[in-house]
Amino acid sequence: MSADRSPGTDGADAETSAEGDEVIDPVDRPERDARPPALAVVVSLVAAAIASLATFLAAPLGGALLAVATVAFVAGSVRRSHRFLSWGAGLGVVGLAVAGYRGGGVEPLLVGGVALAVAWDAADHGLSVGEQVGRDARTRRNVAVHAGTTLLAGALSVGVVYGVYLAAAGSQPVAALALLLFGAVVLASALR
Amino acid sequence: MSETGDPAPNEGPAEGADAATTERRVRREIETGRWDGVRGAALALVGVGIVARRPGLVLLGAVGVGYVLYAGVGEAPAATLDVTRTASDATPEPGDEVTVTVRARNVGDAPLPDLRLVDGVPPGLEVVDGPARVATALRPGATVAFEYAARASRGEHEWEAATAITRNPSGSRERTTAVDPVDPARIVCTPDLAAGGDLPLRGLTTRSHGRMPTDVGGAGVEFHATREYRRGDPLKRVDWNRRARTGELATVELREERAATVVLLVDARETAYAASDPAAETAVEASVGAAGQAFRALLDGGDRVGIAALGPVDCWLAPGAGTAHAARGRETLATDPALAPTPSGDRFYRSLWLRRFRRRLPADAQVLFFTPLIDDAAASIARRIDAHGHLVTVLSPDVTASGTTGERLVGLERRERLRDLRSTGVRAIEWGEESFPVAVARATSRWSR
Repeated sequence: MSADRSPGTDGADAETSAEGDEVIDPVDRPERDARPPALAVVVSLVAAAIASLATFLAAPLGGALLAVATVAFVAGSVRRSHRFLSWGAGLGVVGLAVAGYRGGGVEPLLVGGVALAVAWDAADHGLSVGEQVGRDARTRRNVAVHAGTTLLAGALSVGVVYGVYLAAAGSQPVAALALLLFGAVVLASALR
Repeated sequence: MSETGDPAPNEGPAEGADAATTERRVRREIETGRWDGVRGAALALVGVGIVARRPGLVLLGAVGVGYVLYAGVGEAPAATLDVTRTASDATPEPGDEVTVTVRARNVGDAPLPDLRLVDGVPPGLEVVDGPARVATALRPGATVAFEYAARASRGEHEWEAATAITRNPSGSRERTTAVDPVDPARIVCTPDLAAGGDLPLRGLTTRSHGRMPTDVGGAGVEFHATREYRRGDPLKRVDWNRRARTGELATVELREERAATVVLLVDARETAYAASDPAAETAVEASVGAAGQAFRALLDGGDRVGIAALGPVDCWLAPGAGTAHAARGRETLATDPALAPTPSGDRFYRSLWLRRFRRRLPADAQVLFFTPLIDDAAASIARRIDAHGHLVTVLSPDVTASGTTGERLVGLERRERLRDLRSTGVRAIEWGEESFPVAVARATSRWSR
């Protein structure tokens, strides 16, 4: 029962209890199936497929790169590796950049971008839920709310950005670009 | 276990009551860093878009900046939870499944978009049905309830604080909170003590009459010796045959049967919490089970029995007899913290313990020492108690495995220790696969008194 009392089970646990004795963190007890919840994996896969399709419509090479990113997401979920997911996300961004550079349309690119973000986010969130709560527990609501919020954030961004683009960029592409860039820089620096 | 936190129909009633029913301590707040890199990707896309004069990429970068904003927004919310926990059975039998229901209500004003709740199941209990965890999102005033089943094991188990992990909507910040209901669930699991047949004791006894045949002549049933007649000897003890043969009066002495004082000493040091495999019963568990059988058998035989634990936590039940004592012994074996199903983690000082134990031990007491004998200290303690004039019988559950070379070596060392003990005159019984009474019966048939 207590054979697994190994000291220092959690490197990030900075808690030094008054008893002076290292107590196993209850979150790390081995009672759960630590794989990510099925819903998170499914959401991630569907979103990644949408991203691949949208980017493929913009430019086939970009779509191919996103398909590879999808494979990386699957591998990350199966092997429970955050690193695989990060590589997948990076690859996806490169795929989007390639598709944009090759002259893909604006709309499929935006859809692909948001779908990529949702795919990575759902997979990564699924990993952390799996680690802390496990696959067998009730997690559906949590995963759905999280994926929904991320999708909403993406949709809002797209709405604002695309609205500005339609309003400004139709006649003056360069001015619109500069305006958008300026806005982007201001937003990014406001966060610091 | 009262339903104090039952959700009231209207929101936010009885703020004071909420604070009183659940104690919350923030354990740690961290940045998860999961959106790290999105800012760089966004600016890179914008940069490529500018250089290549592709508006699509700039827009994409701007959407990325939107996600940067999303990641930066919001602190991890405080886990304003009111937790109640109910166990289906407060006094289960060992092996029973206890269903535990946990309800957590968000009593704060802010929603908890990402809440993971891990219940603080006592370390001695095994969760058999469903993890004791849930992940959900809670609006203000909303309640999440989940239940799981734990298998009861001997002892007194009190639930620890539940761990609540909350994140902000994007998951970039995380806060871990210990959520402790003021009234945590508690179960007490007291096994029945089954008598384990006849138990072999050694010839050190008290002055009270009992069942142990002694080398003292007197009243009894078994012939012991004859001696010269003294005035006042009862007539029925006079050896009339001898009187007829030789004309002398002689008195037959019979073996007196007396009660023994026995202290059951259970090894509960951290090393004794060993098992042949992680799911198997620990040596402490096996020892306590056997001690329970011995306790019952000895009390039934009229001996005075006490209980002590060899371990960091003090445990001493002075030898006694009678129904009340039997109940106390049962309670001690079942729920004493010194014999808990998991080690206490305190430090154990052997010489201090030995001094205290010797001071308490009645001079005529013998010791039944239950130990897995997987380190030298246990054997040395047995020898030292024996050397102080208390007859020691070592009863050793075998928890060694025989898979790897190291495990076989431990088994070999243990057998060597048993042989050493036997050669120094300490009696030893070991039992592994077979039950304790069987092992005792087999060993007893070999022994002389």
